[in-house]
Amino acid sequence: MADLSINLAGIKSPNPFWLASAPPTNSGYQVQRAFEAGWGGAVWKTLGDPILNVSSRFAAVSFNGQRVAGFNNIELITDRPIEVNLKEIYETKKRFPNHAIIVSLMVEPKQEKWHEIVKRVEDVGVDGLELNFGCPHGMAERGMGSASGQVPELVERQTFWVKEVATTPVIVKLTPNITDITATAEAAVRGGADAISMINTINSLMGVDLDNWNTIPHVAGKGAHGGYCGPAVKPIALNMVAECARNSRINVPISGIGGISSWQDAVEFMLMGATGVQVCTAAMHHGFRIVEDMIDGLNNYLDEKGIASVSELIGKSVPRYSDWGNLDLNYNIVAKINTDVCINCNKCHIACEDTSHQCIDMLTDTNGNSYLKVREEDCVGCNLCSIVCPVDGAIDMVEVSSDLQPMTWNERQAALNLVAQCKTDVAK
Amino acid sequence: MSEYQQFLVERNKVDFLIQKGYLINNILENLNGSYVDFIHPNDQSKETLHISTANGRKYFSSILIKQNTTSYIKNE
Ligand SMILES: Cc1cc2nc3c(=O)[nH]c(=O)nc-3n(C[C@H](O)[C@H](O)[C@H](O)COP(=O)(O)O)c2cc1C
Repeated sequence: MADLSINLAGIKSPNPFWLASAPPTNSGYQVQRAFEAGWGGAVWKTLGDPILNVSSRFAAVSFNGQRVAGFNNIELITDRPIEVNLKEIYETKKRFPNHAIIVSLMVEPKQEKWHEIVKRVEDVGVDGLELNFGCPHGMAERGMGSASGQVPELVERQTFWVKEVATTPVIVKLTPNITDITATAEAAVRGGADAISMINTINSLMGVDLDNWNTIPHVAGKGAHGGYCGPAVKPIALNMVAECARNSRINVPISGIGGISSWQDAVEFMLMGATGVQVCTAAMHHGFRIVEDMIDGLNNYLDEKGIASVSELIGKSVPRYSDWGNLDLNYNIVAKINTDVCINCNKCHIACEDTSHQCIDMLTDTNGNSYLKVREEDCVGCNLCSIVCPVDGAIDMVEVSSDLQPMTWNERQAALNLVAQCKTDVAK
Repeated sequence: MSEYQQFLVERNKVDFLIQKGYLINNILENLNGSYVDFIHPNDQSKETLHISTANGRKYFSSILIKQNTTSYIKNE
């Protein structure tokens, strides 16, 4: 069995699966049950001045029978006094000394406020702090959460204030509601962050009720934007993690969050640079015991790959993530339809004919049976046919060899510039 | 003519000039695609090809990179 333990900026946990700061980590009762179920760490529900919540807080997108493809909330941070939380944190840590307890914090952007909460929380013995610069609703209207997290100077300054007094590792949790997350990630690093975590939730409005025209969810007939998370946000989160991981100025560990529902998702985040992962929606959807499958699956995967420690995965795919301009323009794939598997539903033909490159022909063989065939020379390898195909194995995308050397857009433009340069030189 | 047939025509024209010893001398790219100027090093004779397919643009660009590398080696 592989070693699943991780060390994220000095925070050790028996496995890479942490619960994210959210309802599952609201109380000692819950976090202790989560640890019993197998979670390696928990980021406690954000502490700050206790808030008031509205009733009717969550909504979810069901997509073609898949419940909770995306999840939305307008819940704020903890509504319980700090002493209550600290007492439960202390008790939980005492019962589970080897599990990671990180406490999420959010206060107004004032130095004394940060100093006060950091000292009080660290006094009870926690493994680390996470600064919540991401909550996109409610708290943001008060200058906290994503309102702070969208301004690099505020991220840097507040991180710096925390680092002035903190004795445990400080993780800065970033908001995805920004054009370029590396700007705020770099600010966190400049402020002295020991690690960063991403993503918090994405601004969202889940829907409008067609009968009464209320927003979904609505509070007595009124709605406000919420934060979106769950499986639907995974690609956005994964890209943000990868963009930070490949940025040489962001040289701190990353805790990956956003749509992680399985051990496979966790492995992807780790390969793209995360040292560990945090989970919220999947736990809310399926309960704490979902971690059992995550641990088993990860263990089997590592054993099958002959990898001794999960940490060996960290960042292995990062060198493979680059800019579009560095991709090989002479690499070609084409679709191949396996007629023995194909059910002739024609979805690939329709997709290609209506919205792509018109290269899948509907033909009839000598026995009068219809079949589909790709005109490979006209296929641009867009993948659309294999994406819409409902049958596994009916369409393969296969590489076709090229007589041409690999050539990226950047190399091409450099070659064109060189020719223009030579011409000017000759003209001179 | 299919896009692929169009590409084959463009590739043949490029190959023909390259085989005759022409070198790519200038490229103008605009909304119509690429206009590739060729020059023959011996008699300075010139030819221009209008390349309108994406694969055609990849093709002459690959040849240009090869040409730049060989002339660089020659210059050395
Ligand atoms: C109901 C709810 C409440 C949340 N509350 C907090 C919070 O108090 N502090 C925080 O940092 N993130 C909070 N989050 C965000 C999660 O920690 C996490 O960043 C986000 O849900 C993405 O992960 P997921 O796709 O696994 O849910 C909350 C999320 C949900 C769904």
